[in-house]
Amino acid sequence: MKTPAKPEIEEGGDAMTRRRLLSWLSGFGLLGSLIITVLSNLIFIKPRATYGQPNRFSIGKPEDFPSGARLSLDARRVCIVRDGDKIAAISTTCTHLGCIVSVSETGFACPCHGSRYDQDGNVTGGPAPRALPWYQVSLAPNGDIEVDKDTEIEAGNYLRV
Amino acid sequence: MSSQTKTRNPLIALPENIWRSIFRNPLPSSDLGRASTSFTNFFLHLHPVKVHRNSLRATFTLGLGLMAFFLFMILVVTGILLMFYYVPSTTQAYDRMLDLRGTVAFGIFLRNMHRWSAHGMVAVVFLHMCRVFLTGSYKPPREFNWVLGVLLLLVTLFLSFTGYLLPWDQLAFWAITVGTSIASYAPIVGKEVKFLLLGDSTVGQEALLRFYVLHVAVLPAVLSLLVAIHFWRIRKDGGLSRPEEEDALPADVPAPTQVEVVQGPAVVMATSPAAAAAAQPVLEKRHYGIQGLVRGPFTKIGNVPDRSVFAWPNLFMAELVVFLITVAGVLLVSLFFNAPLEEPVNVMHPPNPAKAPWYFLGLQEQVSYSAFWGGVGIPTIEVLLLFLVPYLDRKIAGVGRWFARERLLANFLFLTFVIVNVVLIIIGTFFRGPNWEFVSPW
Repeated sequence: MKTPAKPEIEEGGDAMTRRRLLSWLSGFGLLGSLIITVLSNLIFIKPRATYGQPNRFSIGKPEDFPSGARLSLDARRVCIVRDGDKIAAISTTCTHLGCIVSVSETGFACPCHGSRYDQDGNVTGGPAPRALPWYQVSLAPNGDIEVDKDTEIEAGNYLRV
Repeated sequence: MSSQTKTRNPLIALPENIWRSIFRNPLPSSDLGRASTSFTNFFLHLHPVKVHRNSLRATFTLGLGLMAFFLFMILVVTGILLMFYYVPSTTQAYDRMLDLRGTVAFGIFLRNMHRWSAHGMVAVVFLHMCRVFLTGSYKPPREFNWVLGVLLLLVTLFLSFTGYLLPWDQLAFWAITVGTSIASYAPIVGKEVKFLLLGDSTVGQEALLRFYVLHVAVLPAVLSLLVAIHFWRIRKDGGLSRPEEEDALPADVPAPTQVEVVQGPAVVMATSPAAAAAAQPVLEKRHYGIQGLVRGPFTKIGNVPDRSVFAWPNLFMAELVVFLITVAGVLLVSLFFNAPLEEPVNVMHPPNPAKAPWYFLGLQEQVSYSAFWGGVGIPTIEVLLLFLVPYLDRKIAGVGRWFARERLLANFLFLTFVIVNVVLIIIGTFFRGPNWEFVSPW
């Protein structure tokens, strides 16, 4: 908005008159309120609690998984791998676009866009940009195996049971 | 007339009085009446009193913009009706779809209309954009309306995307899983955007509720507002585009003899000899009070009286025809083809291949090469270029004609963009099988 050329304003020229100062301050005030409103709305729509599945869950006793098992828990979106006394949890969410990969003979395969992974989750083909993450596995005091999907660990780190 | 109503029995005159109070004008028989009808009726006053003949040529506009608008109207009406029976709940949504098929009167038909109009709207909005480009209609002063148009295309796509989740069938679930994952590839804000869209880390009840609110309230409101500005600007930018030579006076029409400017608060009274009245002596003046601010190059009242015709009935009839064609098309398609509904959601097993709706299959095809470039990088560049079209192409030549020779390069580039996207969609639709591997449709 251009200031209308009223004589009393022209008098001041570029100098800061009281009217101009107040206009600027109100302008900043309105702009600030607008920014706060937008931010508040963003904060509002970002949920503080989610109602979906917890990211930390128990999957049962180590005995439930025989050696050599590669058991895909699709509802939890992890694959439990047991090799001798070593156990690990590999994500079955395709790193490409979030489909569930299925366990194949050579590792994992994604039905959506054809990404393929080896037994350890490393990409062997398709558009997947990175390997399937491994999740922290721990033994709870009651003997259950706990998977924590919030903590990614390096591939090849097994839990000994 | 007042003396007449006094003498008549008010009860006998009641219907006529009510009618007159609603419609101030009888059906017009004179030019003054036509003008008056156009701007005393709420719906008609969105139109100009007079409209250039070129805007009425079906071969110029193909009626695509109007068609998109009417499809949106159909979508609003059928959408509101569907809301009476739909519940945005992961446990109920799919059952409600089956109810629409089985028990709700006209349920399947309404759902068909809604789905096919949505497909149609995406297609028609895109074709409308092609028409505007290929006729060079985004040139000054219409640059910003092109930008609004690109925004409208994006909102239309987002509306159809949010609508896709609502049936909560396999297609819905996996299309949204893939779609929101694409969003998460955006730099910096990607993960945050995905979380805000889904309201959770995976697609579930929260996502369904959010998409529902976006689909039935937020996005239609945004779209309506943008459409209103889009329409308003058409008039403020001087109507639809037309070739320059159309503005020149034809030989058989005398130049406007008089443009009376009443000094005062920016109101112009223009004498406009209509083409029909051309034969009559100009002395028999007809003054039309044409309301509106007139300034700068936007003045389209006094200076194009020659090849324009009255909106009533010419424009309104044309609009009615487009409306009828649109409704008839949607009704026919809905009668013969049922909207697809896949198996209920199975979170464990994505269908193989998991395909998005056809208009996103080009994107999905790109995504199968590189998630970032196919899903975020290239689409962002494409949209930015679309936004910038009127600011990059500043040549004035070739406005208002299809495939103007002066615009060979621009049209060539645009058609390349269109064809590449269409080819990608065709590949994604017909040539991709399980694991997104190449298959032959034959």
